[in-house]
Amino acid sequence: MRKLQYLFSALAALFLATPAFAQGADAVSPWTPIGAGIGMALAAGLCGLAQGKATASATEALARNPGARPGIFTFLILGLAFIESLALFTFVIIFLYVK
Amino acid sequence: MPHQLFFTKILNDLFARPVDALLAMAHQTPKHLDAPITNTFAMEVLVFLVLVVYFISIRATLSVETPGPVQHLAEMTHGFINDQGESIIGHGHEKFTGYLTALGLFIVMCNLLGLASPWLESPTANPRVPLGLALVTFVYYHIYGIKANGFGYVKQFLGPVWWLYPLMLPIEIISHLARILSLTVRLYANMFAGDLLTLAFFSLVPLGIPLLFLGLHLGVAIVQAYVFVLLAMIYLSLAVSHDH
Repeated sequence: MRKLQYLFSALAALFLATPAFAQGADAVSPWTPIGAGIGMALAAGLCGLAQGKATASATEALARNPGARPGIFTFLILGLAFIESLALFTFVIIFLYVK
Repeated sequence: MPHQLFFTKILNDLFARPVDALLAMAHQTPKHLDAPITNTFAMEVLVFLVLVVYFISIRATLSVETPGPVQHLAEMTHGFINDQGESIIGHGHEKFTGYLTALGLFIVMCNLLGLASPWLESPTANPRVPLGLALVTFVYYHIYGIKANGFGYVKQFLGPVWWLYPLMLPIEIISHLARILSLTVRLYANMFAGDLLTLAFFSLVPLGIPLLFLGLHLGVAIVQAYVFVLLAMIYLSLAVSHDH
């Protein structure tokens, strides 16, 4: 019961917070390009770290068990695509909102 | 008058009038009445025509004793998708192979078109084309999910216990819709970023270096087509599974 209470209070807080997202769409700040640059740099850097980690694990797994190549390859490509798409979301949002 | 590629110009010269009439029937007026067909659509039509010719030529020269080179190519792609489907979907994957192969070939052709020649461009670098493909895939896997599970397909959207149902249903619906978004944006952003990257480096160093990025773009184009088909397969396998 206590847990449910926490859950619903968190949900209520989220609903209250929704109007905050809708404000200030037209405001053009001189800091926008800098923000976009920092955002893209963070996304690209962390995406690089994550992809490196994924590839390192895949290579290690391949070295330990070369027979499992097809399965590892499929999951590696899939994971890389998912990780990469996060950086690409950032890219698309920056491209859409920063003129 | 917008910038038109060679093939777009031909299409517009031939079909501008009927396309305008068709759009008027849907109460739409194109921005340029002389050129209602955009480059993207013209490139899609080009890919469609090439694929239809390819499939017809395979069908016409099909033979068991002396398979030609085109048939070898077709068997290779079909076999590749079939093997992937068998390892991911498992039992009953054969009926999806046709759709998935067509999807994969279409995306590969679309992605590589931009690299093929300066008179062509990638239709997938426009968000509308990946969106169309993602929507078709979305409808397709839901239809097969309903076919495989009947009314029990609804259970996939609900949680394990009844009091979680009101919480899980919106989350599941949003996550299924997010699949459309992620499929669309992944393909579009990769193709678009590849084009932009080559352009940016071409404006920095107009000799030699951009070639490297063209090579990278070639790899990305093929991998993204593969990923799109792979994800379509995984969504299909989740939809038709009986575990729930």
